[in-house]
Amino acid sequence: MGFLAPWFFAGLAALGLPVYIHLLRRHRTTPQPFSSLMFFERRTQSSIRHRRLRYLLLWALRMLLLFLLALAFANPFVTGVSPAERERTLLVVAVDASFSMREGDRLERARREAVRVLGGRSASGQAQVIAFDSQVRVLTQPTVDPGELRAAVETIRAGDARGSYGELGRALRSIAQSSRLPLEVHLISDMQKSSLPASFSDLRLPAQARLTPHPVVSRPAPNWAVENVAAPGSIADPKKARVLATVAGYQTPAARRNVSLVANNRVLATKSVDVPAGGRVAVEFLTLDVPYGFNRAEVRLESGDALREDDRFLFAVERSDPRRVLFVHEARDTRAALYFRAALAAAAESSFLLEEVVVEQTAGLQPARYAFVVLSDVLSLPAAFEDALRQYVRTGGSLWIAAGAASARRPRLPVVDEAVLESRYYARSAERFQTVGNLDPAHPSIRRAGRWEGVKFYQVTRLAPGQARVVARLTDGTPLLVEKQVTEGRVLVFASTFDNISNDFPLHPVWVPFVEQTARYLAGLESRASNITVDSFVELRSVREKGVAVEVIDPEGRRPLALKDAASLQTYQLMREGYYELRRANGRHGMVAANPDRRESDLTTMAEETLALWQKTGAESAAAASGGAEQRRVRGLWWYAMLAVLATAMAESLFANRYLHVEEEEAA
Amino acid sequence: MLQRFLDPAVLAGISGLDLIAKTVVQGFIAGLHRSPDFGFSQEFAEYRAYTPGDDLRHVDWNVYARTERAYLKRYRGETNTRLTLLLDASSSMGYSSHSVSKIDYARYLAASLFYLANQQRDAAGMLVFDDEVRAFFRPSTRQGQLMRLLHGLEGAEPRARTDFAKPFLHVQDFLKRRGLVVVISDFYEDPERAVRTVEPLHFRGNDLVLFHVLDPKEIRPALRDPVILVDMETRESMEVAPEYAHVEYPEKFDAHVALLKEKARRAGIGYFLLPTDRPLDEALREYLGIRQGRM
Repeated sequence: MGFLAPWFFAGLAALGLPVYIHLLRRHRTTPQPFSSLMFFERRTQSSIRHRRLRYLLLWALRMLLLFLLALAFANPFVTGVSPAERERTLLVVAVDASFSMREGDRLERARREAVRVLGGRSASGQAQVIAFDSQVRVLTQPTVDPGELRAAVETIRAGDARGSYGELGRALRSIAQSSRLPLEVHLISDMQKSSLPASFSDLRLPAQARLTPHPVVSRPAPNWAVENVAAPGSIADPKKARVLATVAGYQTPAARRNVSLVANNRVLATKSVDVPAGGRVAVEFLTLDVPYGFNRAEVRLESGDALREDDRFLFAVERSDPRRVLFVHEARDTRAALYFRAALAAAAESSFLLEEVVVEQTAGLQPARYAFVVLSDVLSLPAAFEDALRQYVRTGGSLWIAAGAASARRPRLPVVDEAVLESRYYARSAERFQTVGNLDPAHPSIRRAGRWEGVKFYQVTRLAPGQARVVARLTDGTPLLVEKQVTEGRVLVFASTFDNISNDFPLHPVWVPFVEQTARYLAGLESRASNITVDSFVELRSVREKGVAVEVIDPEGRRPLALKDAASLQTYQLMREGYYELRRANGRHGMVAANPDRRESDLTTMAEETLALWQKTGAESAAAASGGAEQRRVRGLWWYAMLAVLATAMAESLFANRYLHVEEEEAA
Repeated sequence: MLQRFLDPAVLAGISGLDLIAKTVVQGFIAGLHRSPDFGFSQEFAEYRAYTPGDDLRHVDWNVYARTERAYLKRYRGETNTRLTLLLDASSSMGYSSHSVSKIDYARYLAASLFYLANQQRDAAGMLVFDDEVRAFFRPSTRQGQLMRLLHGLEGAEPRARTDFAKPFLHVQDFLKRRGLVVVISDFYEDPERAVRTVEPLHFRGNDLVLFHVLDPKEIRPALRDPVILVDMETRESMEVAPEYAHVEYPEKFDAHVALLKEKARRAGIGYFLLPTDRPLDEALREYLGIRQGRM
C-alpha cells in the first residue's frame, strides 16, 4: 500500500480539534426548569456514565471523519490483486527440478511447499504446475482440480539438467500470452545463482505477473565435485594416456580428499589431494590401462557431502591400434618427414603411425587404408595415385598438402585443382621475412595451437583461395593455411613446407600441437569427445546421409529412437547422465559419456537484490503495458475512503443531531 | 371543524381572553346541538301569567297580540347559581412543554367558564392564590363582572409556591352562600392534605370540582439524556436519569393522580384531569353536567 499524496496527512493535525472539544473543554449542562421535583429521586451515577459514553462515541466519530478525510486526500493505493481479480488470476507453481535439487531433501521440501501453495488458493481460481531445469515441462493445463494439481506435483523428479531461470521466464511469457490472464507465479527453487541467464532481460516477467519466491534452502551448502576431466577419446598406447581431473570445492573448507580413476568398475589408481577452501586442485593420472574397444571410465571423488551425484565424472575411452598416416614426399626432401614424424610422436596422446613414401612409390597405394594422406611439397604425382586420391577425398577422406617451392612450379595443385598464382620469397636478412598476421581460432588446427607469433616465413606459394576457408594469413595478406571441402572429404593446404628451409615453423613449440591437432582433425578424431554435458546434442548424421538408420542406446540400455527417428534424426540430445552408445549414419560406432553441467555443483544462491529486481520486472512490465492493465494492478483506494467519509459524516450528523435535539428539548 | 377551535394550541393564537372564551363557548354550544342529553338554560321552559312587578322585558308580546293576555316566557336558565373559581397561580403552573402553559390553559378554561356563567346569568367570582390569596373577586352578576374577571385572569402570573391551607381558609370566610366551587390547580400537594383542605367547602353545600391541569410531559417526561432539573417553586436542582423518568416517575405520578381522584371521589368532590393538550369542551361538559345536577 502506498500514497500518491502523503503530505495531506499533515491534515491529521486537525484531530486535535475534537480532542479539545470533547476531552479538554468541560461540558456544561444547562439546568432545565420543571414544575415539581416531588416525584424525582437523585440518581447521578448512571447519567454521568451515559453522558461520557455518548460523548466518547461522538468524539470517536469525529476523529474518524477527520482521519478518513486526510486519508482520502493522501490518495492511497495498493498494488496487490483484489479477491475478484484473484479469481481471474492464473496461479502458476514453478518447481525447480534441476540437478542441484538432488542435494539433501531439497526436492521433497519443494514438493511440500508446492502442495502448500496450491492448498492456499481459492477453490475457483485456476492453477497450473510446471517443472523446469534447462527446459520447462508443463505438467498440467490451467485447472481448478486440486487432485490433478497435487498428482502433478508428486510426479516431479530431479533431473540431470542445469536449471535455467531464463527458460522459465520465456515459458511464463508464453503462458501469459496464451492464457491472457494475470499470472501469480510461485517459484519454488533453491535459487541457485548459476541458473541465472547471462542476460538479465531473459528473466523479464510478463505484464501483470507477480513473482513470489519460495526458497527451499536458507543458506548454501558446502559441496565438492569433480569439475572436469580431460581424457582422450581414443588411445593407442595406454602408457601414453593422460587423464587430468579437476576437483573443485564450493563454499567448502580446506580438506583432503581421495580421487580415484575407475575404468569398467575397476579402480586403476587413487590419489589423495588437498583441496583448498573454496578452491580447485588438479589431479593427474598418467596411465589408463583399459582393454581394446570402448571403455566406461570415470573419476570418482570421496567427498562426503550431500550432493553425491557430482562426485563422479564419466568419460568414455576407446582403445585401438594406431591410425596409419601416408606421408608422400619428394625423394630429395627428407627434412619434412623428420619434423612431421617427430611432431606426431611427441604428442602425448599420439595414436598415429606414419608411413613415408616417395612420389615414385605411390602408384600402387590405396589411400583408403589411411586415416589421412600428406603430400609434402610434391612436384608431380602418378596419375593413378592422383585419381585414387581424388576418389578418396570425394568419399570422405582427408588430404593435407604442403605447397612449397616445388608445388609452385605446377600450374595447379593436385586433387583440388586450385590455381597456383606465384611463389613468393622473402629475404632472410634485414627482417624482411613474413609472419602470421591473422589466425582463425575457431579452426581445430589453431584452437589449441594459436601462438604463432615468432614463426618466420621466407617462402610461400600464393594461391587463389576462392570459396575455400582461409585459416591463417601472413601479415601481407597471403593465405597460409586454407581448407577446402571437396564433396565429402576435406583438403587442407599449407602454403609452405614442413621443413625448416621455407620457414622456421618446425623449430617452434607450436609446431607439435599444430601437427597433432590437425592430424586428429583430419583423421576424424577431433570430434570424438570423451564426455559431453547433459543437454548437449550429438550429431548422428550429416545432411547428405539420408535414409541410413542410426542407433542410440541410452544409459539404461534402451533404444530411445523410434524407427522414423532412427531414419531421419540428425542430432540427439543427451538428457541424462550416463554412457550412450551411438551408431552413426557413416557406420562408425562410438560411445560418449554425459555429465551434468558442473555449474549446478555451485550451490551459491542468488543475491536478494537480484531476486528483488526480478520481481520488479513484473511491475515494470505492467507499467509499460496498457493503461487499463495498469489500473487493474495499481488500485486507488481514495474512492473507498471517500465513501467511508460520507458514511461517517452521516453517522456523525445523525448522532450529533440527535444529541442536539435532546439538548434543545431539555433546554425547552 | 368546530372542535378545532377548542384545541388549546389553536386558542393560544387568539389574543384576548374574552375572544378566546367566546370562541370556546360558542363552538362548544354549536357542538351541543347534536347532543339532546344536555339541557340548556336558555331553553324555553314554560309560560307564566304576568303578575305585577314582573319585568316587562320578559313578556311575550306575540302571545299577547294573539290572546290579549300577558304571559311571561320562563327559561330554565333562570335558575341561577354562584360560580366561584379558585385558580392556582403558583410557579409550577408556569411550566409548559409546548405552546400552551398550564397557567394559560387554566386561564382559557376559567375564561370559558366565566363566559358560560355570564351567558347563564350566574354569579361568577374568582380567587387567585399561590401560598397567599393574591386576588379575590366576589361572585356577582353585575354588569362588567365578566370583564373584571377576565382582567383578573390576565394578571394572574405564576409565582411563589402552592399552599392550599391559607387561601381555602380565606375563601371559607367569603363563601356564605351555596354554589359551585371550581378549583383549577396542578395539585403538587399531598392528595390527602389537598382534599382535606378543600373538603370543608363541600360540607357547606357547595358543589366542588377539581380541575387537575397538567402538562403532558409532566405525566410522561420525555428525557433521552440525563439532565439537571430545577424545581420551579423551590428552586431546588437535581440531576435526573432518563431511565428513572421513564420507569419510576410515571408509576409514582400515576399513583399520585389515582390517589387524588380516589380521595376526591370519597369526599364527594368532582375530579377531572385536564392535560393541556386536550380540548376544553370536556371541561365545559363537566361543568355543565354538575350545574345541571344542581337544578
